[in-house]
Amino acid sequence: MTLAVFFPFLIAALAAWLGPRLGRRTGYVAAAAFLPALLLIPELLGMPGAAPALEVTRWVPTLGLDLAFRGDGFSLLFAVLIGVIGTLASLYSVAYLSERERFGRFYSYLLLFGGSMLGLVLSDNLVALFGFWEMTSVTSFLLIGLWHTRSAARDGAVKAFLVSALGGLAMLAAVAMIALGGGSTSLSALDVGALRESAYFTPALLLTLLAAFTKSAQLPFHLWLPTAMEAPTPVSAFLHSATMVKAGVVLVAKFGLLFGGAALWSAIIVPVGLATLVWGSWLALRQTDLKALLAYSTVSQLGLLMSLYGLADAEGRFAATAHLLNHAAFKAALFFVVGIIDHETGTRELPLLGGLRRALPLTFAVALLAALSMAGLPPLGGFISKELFYEAMLHQGPLFLAVAVAGSALTFAYSLRLLRVFLGAPRAPAGAEPHEAPPGLTLPAAGLALTALAFGLLPGTAEALTRTAQGALNFGAYEGNLKLWHGVTPALLATFLTWALGAVLVWQASGMEALGRRLTPRVNANTVYYSLTQTVNVFSSWLIARTQGLPLPDQLRITLAAAALMAGYAVWRAPQVFYPFGELPLGVLPVAALLVAGAVGVLLSRGRLTAVIVTGLTGFGSAAAFLAFRAPDLALTQLLVEAVTVILFLLAFRYLPGVRDLPRTRGRYVFDVGLAGLAGVGLTLLVLSSVRFLAPPISPYYLEYSYKGGGGKNVVNVLLVDFRGFDTLGEITVVGMVALAVLSLVRLGKPGRPRTAPDDTAEPPTRRRS
Amino acid sequence: MTRPPTPSTGREAPAPAPLSGDPILRSTSRAVFALVLLFSFLLLWRGHNAPGGGFIAGLMTACALVLHRIAYGFSALRLDPVRLIPWGLALSFATGLVPYLLGKPFLKSDYGYITTAVTGEFEWATALLFDLGVFLLVVGASLTIAYALTEVAPQETVEGDE
Repeated sequence: MTLAVFFPFLIAALAAWLGPRLGRRTGYVAAAAFLPALLLIPELLGMPGAAPALEVTRWVPTLGLDLAFRGDGFSLLFAVLIGVIGTLASLYSVAYLSERERFGRFYSYLLLFGGSMLGLVLSDNLVALFGFWEMTSVTSFLLIGLWHTRSAARDGAVKAFLVSALGGLAMLAAVAMIALGGGSTSLSALDVGALRESAYFTPALLLTLLAAFTKSAQLPFHLWLPTAMEAPTPVSAFLHSATMVKAGVVLVAKFGLLFGGAALWSAIIVPVGLATLVWGSWLALRQTDLKALLAYSTVSQLGLLMSLYGLADAEGRFAATAHLLNHAAFKAALFFVVGIIDHETGTRELPLLGGLRRALPLTFAVALLAALSMAGLPPLGGFISKELFYEAMLHQGPLFLAVAVAGSALTFAYSLRLLRVFLGAPRAPAGAEPHEAPPGLTLPAAGLALTALAFGLLPGTAEALTRTAQGALNFGAYEGNLKLWHGVTPALLATFLTWALGAVLVWQASGMEALGRRLTPRVNANTVYYSLTQTVNVFSSWLIARTQGLPLPDQLRITLAAAALMAGYAVWRAPQVFYPFGELPLGVLPVAALLVAGAVGVLLSRGRLTAVIVTGLTGFGSAAAFLAFRAPDLALTQLLVEAVTVILFLLAFRYLPGVRDLPRTRGRYVFDVGLAGLAGVGLTLLVLSSVRFLAPPISPYYLEYSYKGGGGKNVVNVLLVDFRGFDTLGEITVVGMVALAVLSLVRLGKPGRPRTAPDDTAEPPTRRRS
Repeated sequence: MTRPPTPSTGREAPAPAPLSGDPILRSTSRAVFALVLLFSFLLLWRGHNAPGGGFIAGLMTACALVLHRIAYGFSALRLDPVRLIPWGLALSFATGLVPYLLGKPFLKSDYGYITTAVTGEFEWATALLFDLGVFLLVVGASLTIAYALTEVAPQETVEGDE
C-alpha cells in the first residue's frame, strides 16, 4: 500500500523529465504508475473476511504524524478504483492531447494527484489524511489551470482552490479536534466513546461536514465544479467525476463510523444531499455545453451518494457503495465520450450537434450504455443502485422518496438529452468531418461502458465488490442483494413514476426551458462568490493604498514609532534592563565610535553615493566589532554582505533621480529627531537586555560537540550545516525565493514581456485532425 | 501628517552610465577575478574547520562574477544564474534526505578520515555537500538580483520617488 501511494510520486518526477523527450508517449509511463494500486486487487478480493493490513512508516512520531496506511475493504475498493480510472485516463490522454501540450507538466501533475488521492483514501493517520486532502486541492488547481492562457481556466482554478481551501481549513480544525477528543491521531485506534463524550464532538462534526461539502461540491459549494471543467477532458473524467470530488463522500463514509450515531449528522447530510441531487440535475437539464451538463450531473450524483452515506445505516451504506461503483463507471465513460465528440467535431455545444451515430457508431454505443445506466434503466447497473436508493429513502418517509423521485426524473431527462447529439439529422459545425475516433480514445470509454453493463447483467460482480467494503463500513448485517428483478415493490412503482415524469420532461423540453429561465434565482452561489472576492480585492487595494502608498519618510516614521513603542513597553515592564552597563567590555568603544561616526556621516552626506559609502562604514565597523569579540566567521560574512549590498545599491541607484531636500518645518524636524532618538535608545536597551538575561550561555555545548559530533573545528560552520541544518535549509529557501521575487519585480516592466495576462482569445491546444 | 510636495514623475532621471568598456577596469579585473574565485573556493573547502563556508564563499563568488560582468559586459557564467537556485536547494535537501532514508535524523551529517600517501590524513564530511548546495544557491540568488539590476532599462523603473 505504501508503495501504491508513493510510486505515482516517484513516476511524477520521472514524467516531468521524460515529458519533453518522449512527448505524448509519456502517458504510457504515467499509466504504469498506477500498477501498484492495481496490484491491490487480490488483497481487495479477499477482503470481506480478512483482517485489514496496517502499514506504518514513522515520520514525525513526536507529533503523532505517521504514514500509516490501512487496507480495509472500502479503502482498497476506492484505491483500486483510482488505479483503474487513473490508468484509463492516462491512456486516453495519449490520444487526446495536442502535440503542443507540455506533457511533462501535465503528466507529473496528474500523477501527483493520483498519489495524493491514493494516500487520502488509504491513510489511517488523521494528520497525513489532511496533508493528502490538501495536496489533492493543490494538484486539482494546477490541472484546472493547465491551459492558463485562458481567463476561464484561471478563474475556474482559483475558484476551485478557494472553495476547497476553505474546506481544507475546516478539515484541519476537525482533525485536530478529533485527535484531541479521541486521544489518538490514528483513525482506527482512536477512542470513539471518548470522542462522543468530549466537548469537541459537535464542532468537529460540523467542520468535517463543511470539509466534505466543499470537496464534494454540495449545495451551496457546488459552484466550483462546473467551472473546473476548463481542465482537459481526461482530467475532468479522473478528478472531477470519478475520484477527487468523491473525497468528501469518502470522508462522510469513513467518518460516519465516528459521527454516525449523532442525530445531527444525518439531519444535515441527507437534506443537503437530496437538495443537491434535485438542484444539480435541474441545472444539468438546462446546460447546452455537454461538459457543463456532465458537471452538474456529477454534482447531483454526488448529492445522491452523500445522502445515502449520510443515512449512516447499513442499508444506506450498502446502496451508496453500489452506486459509487456504478457512477464511477458510467460517468467517466461519458466524459470520455464528450472528449471524443469535442475531438472530432471541435465543439461541445448541444444545439450544434446531431446525428453523430452514423459517424461515430462505437462512441454512440458507449454513450448509449453509459447514459442509460445514468438514467437508471434496466438492464444496467444504474437501475439496480437506483432501486436501492429508493428503498433506502422509502424507509425514511414518503417525503424523502418524493424528492428522490423528482431528482431521478430530472436525471432521466438530462441523460436522454445527452443522447440527442447522436440522434436525428446529422449536424456538425462547418469544416468538421467527424469520423470514428482512434482506439486510444474509444477503448477506455468502451471498457467503462461494458463495466456498467456487466454491473447490470451480472449483478453478482457488483455485489461482490460492494461486499468487500462491508467490514470497513459496518453494513455486514444488511441482507439485501443486488438484483435486476426484486418483484413488484414500492421502489419499482416509484421507478415507473420516474420514467413517466422523465418522459414528460423530455417531451416538454421547450416548456421546461421557459420555466428554467423564469426560475433562475437572482442571487446564486456564483454571485455570492464573485461579490465576496470582489470585496476582498477592493478592501485590500484600499488597505494597500492607505498603508503601502505612503511617502517613504512617513513609512519610516511609522516603523520607528512602532520600534520606540515596543521598546518603551519592555522597559516599562522590566526596568532591570537599565542596569547592565557594568558588564560591557569597554575595549570595543573605539569600534562603537566608528559605528556612530558612520551613522552621523550618512545624515550629513549630500549625495547617494556618499551616503552609501558612509553606510558602509557602519557595516565595516560591525565587522570590526565581530572581530573584537573573536568571531572571524561573522566578521567575514559581514564584510561580504556589506560589499554585495554596496554593489547592489550602486546598481540600483543608476535609475533613481537625484537627491532632493524635502521641505521640513522646524516642528517636524524636532519631531523626527525625537522619534529617531527614542527608537534608537529603546532598541539599544532591548539588545542589552537580551545580552543580560541569556543565562546560562549555550556556547560550551556547541564548543564541546561540534568536533565530536559534527567532525568540524569551525563551530559556527558546524552549527550552520549540522546542528541547525534545518534552519539553514529554510533560510536558503527564503534567499532563493527573494531572488526570484526581485527578478520578477524588475522584469515586470520590461518590454517584450506581457505586463498583464495574455488575452483570452488564445486557442487552447486541443488536437484537431485535418 | 502633511504630504511633502509631490515630486515630478522622475522623468529627469539621469541616464545611467554604461557599465562596461573601461580598459583599466578590464585589465585589473582579469587578475582579480581569478584570485577572488580561487579564494572563495578555498573558503568553501576549508569552511568545516576554519573560517569560511558556503554562504561566505557564495557571496564572494557572486562579487567576482558581478565584477566580471561590469568590466566586460557579459556574464562569465554560461548558464542563467536563476537555474542555480533550484539545484542548490535540491542538493542541500538531498544531502539531508539521505540520512533520513537510512533511518537517521533528517540532515544528520557524517564524516570520516582517509589517509593516503599523497594528501596525508584527509577528512571528508557530508556537510561539505550541504554547504555546496548553500554555495550554489547563494551564488544563484545574488547574481539573479545583480544581473536583473544591470539588465533593466532605466526609463521603465522610475515611477517617482514617492
